[in-house]
Amino acid sequence: MNKHVIVRTAAAASAIALLTSLAACGDNIPAGTAATANADGLSGNFAGAGASSQQSATEAWIAGFTASNTKAKISYNPSGSGAGVTTFLTGATAWAASDKALSDSEVEQSKDVCASGTAFDVPVYIAPIAVVFNLNGVSDAGKHVNMDAATIAKIFDGKITKWNDPSIQEQNPDITLPDTAITVVHRSDKSGTTQNFVEYLKAAAPDDWTYDLSENWPNEVGQGAKGTSGVISTISQADGTIGYADFSQVGELGTVSVKVGDEYVDISTQAASNAIADSTIDENVTGDNRVVVDVNHTTTADNAYPIVMVSYDIVCPVYQDSATTEFARDWLTYVVSTAGQSVASSATGSAPLPNNIVDRINESIAAMG
Amino acid sequence: MAGHGTIPAKEGSMTHPTSHDSSGSAPASLMADAPVIDFDKFKPTRSHLAARQRKDTFMRWLILLAFVVACIPLISLLWTTIVNGVRRLNWDFLSHNMTYVVGGEATGTGGYGGILHAIIGTLEITLGSMVISIPVGIMCSVYLVEYANRSRLSRTVRLLVDVMSGIPSIVAGLFAFSMFSILVGPGTINGFEGSVALSLLMIPTVVKTTEEMLKIVPNDLREASYALGVTKQRTISKIVLRTALPGIVSGAILAIARVIGETAPLLMTAGYIVSTNMNLFSGEMTTLPVYVYQEYSKLRANCPADASASCVTTIPMERAWAAALVLILIVLILNLIGRIVARIFAVKTER
Repeated sequence: MNKHVIVRTAAAASAIALLTSLAACGDNIPAGTAATANADGLSGNFAGAGASSQQSATEAWIAGFTASNTKAKISYNPSGSGAGVTTFLTGATAWAASDKALSDSEVEQSKDVCASGTAFDVPVYIAPIAVVFNLNGVSDAGKHVNMDAATIAKIFDGKITKWNDPSIQEQNPDITLPDTAITVVHRSDKSGTTQNFVEYLKAAAPDDWTYDLSENWPNEVGQGAKGTSGVISTISQADGTIGYADFSQVGELGTVSVKVGDEYVDISTQAASNAIADSTIDENVTGDNRVVVDVNHTTTADNAYPIVMVSYDIVCPVYQDSATTEFARDWLTYVVSTAGQSVASSATGSAPLPNNIVDRINESIAAMG
Repeated sequence: MAGHGTIPAKEGSMTHPTSHDSSGSAPASLMADAPVIDFDKFKPTRSHLAARQRKDTFMRWLILLAFVVACIPLISLLWTTIVNGVRRLNWDFLSHNMTYVVGGEATGTGGYGGILHAIIGTLEITLGSMVISIPVGIMCSVYLVEYANRSRLSRTVRLLVDVMSGIPSIVAGLFAFSMFSILVGPGTINGFEGSVALSLLMIPTVVKTTEEMLKIVPNDLREASYALGVTKQRTISKIVLRTALPGIVSGAILAIARVIGETAPLLMTAGYIVSTNMNLFSGEMTTLPVYVYQEYSKLRANCPADASASCVTTIPMERAWAAALVLILIVLILNLIGRIVARIFAVKTER
């Protein structure tokens, strides 16, 4: 019996040792070039948490960032904007990602976490929000449907219930719209996508969209679905559905071309970037170094797509730990750089930050540490 | 059923003790004097037999149908997972983590990222929860069965274990998260925290199954042991637990299978990271269920217009399926190991 125990213990120990040696790395080799000259760079564990919309982009940034800082281990927990900011304000994470700018009270709370000054947010990720639909004979033929803001607002408020409603048909003289009922699909969970979408409706069609701004869907029209993935799969499954989702997730579904000025603009990353370039930076926010974009939903600029979500990274100017300060500065520098923005754009279909905004962000980064 | 016809004749010969006639002494006359019972009266009629036969056949089919209905979801689930999961399940997928995986592009080795970090996380966290919950669970049930079988305390403990087995997993996650927030620091996330959350879910299962196993150990064994002057402690550890070991092992495996697929508590306590973390006590750790969930939420990877031909937009879902298949396989392997261990330790009854 004793001999057996010894043999078994030895077997278990060697199994664990084998597993450990096997598992020592497992890191992939980056697809492009090998690690660059700056192979040492930062080291340590750094954690971020926040918006799930930024997950793919942040994973791409982590890949790009660790390629030049091979000793740094960075984790990102896509727990949601609210959870991300809360965690950040406890001091557990180095940065937070959020679909909306900090509130005044959050800026005030950040004094406890940051070694000096208050936390600030900078836009890092611009995602066009597509109005997606699934309509037999239209979306599967690859056609866009033209709509102005008032029409979209009426559809999502349940005032327009048929696809061949005259107000839709007269904007689309080239398409024969079927007599199918419209099923609205919206997010059932709290979401920055919802917030930005209704912001657009409220700004561009104030007469037809009277609800208050919120991250929750405000009315009882249509059906809810959990997460972007839930919305997309619900829309894919039924004819006559319409909803809103991140552009990168649209896939084979049809997208609505939105009326801007006198023209209908198809969704594209460049068009979204144009809309942000035509927006202003909110100068009245409390707290230093903050760059909060006031998205111009009623833009009339050429080829500008006005339904855009701006997502932020939130950092402290100075941390208790100097390594974290250094990390946060390098991280933001990389993320808003041309390289960082293009890797995010190819990974997620996000729109690159326009130059006027990048200049402002670099001022804020320069004020760090 | 054909045998029924012969029964009345047999029973006829056995009716003699109840005979009224006590004058005759010879058995032969007894038989002759016995009151004539019309056994044909009890004989099932042909239609009755047919009805029973029908009922029997009907119930057979009904039970078979119920079995088939119960199997449909299982087979459908396995089939879907295998069909969808096998596409991306290869050595590259098993031996890499998710570092440097960008969008739908292939990595340097031609793969699309993998689950090595999640497999390690799942195994380590599950091992951690086993280390916590199996000793606690076994000792608790030893106390319940051997020391305090009918006391008020044991009734209370049993009730609490029942309540505990009904705790939603997310609550266990919240408990572990708040406990570590208080003890270690706000927002602490590490693998061991996940182990604590899972052990809360494992303990009731371990207690229940071990208790049942200890109860069916025959009392004769204990008494025989005591009769030889063996102490209670040695009786429990060498006789009772030894006899019940195969059952305890399979109970532990059941408990592991119960928790290894938990997502919600691990999402909160163990976190999510793309690189491999070997340290259970520091840093975030990805587990297979969380990996599946995160890949599902990504839904679709982006392939820019200038992407290479190897860019796959549906890769997150394919990775999720493959990881789900691996999770099922791990549970299967654990079950097999459990069975083998139980067989090795089974008490040889023929001796």
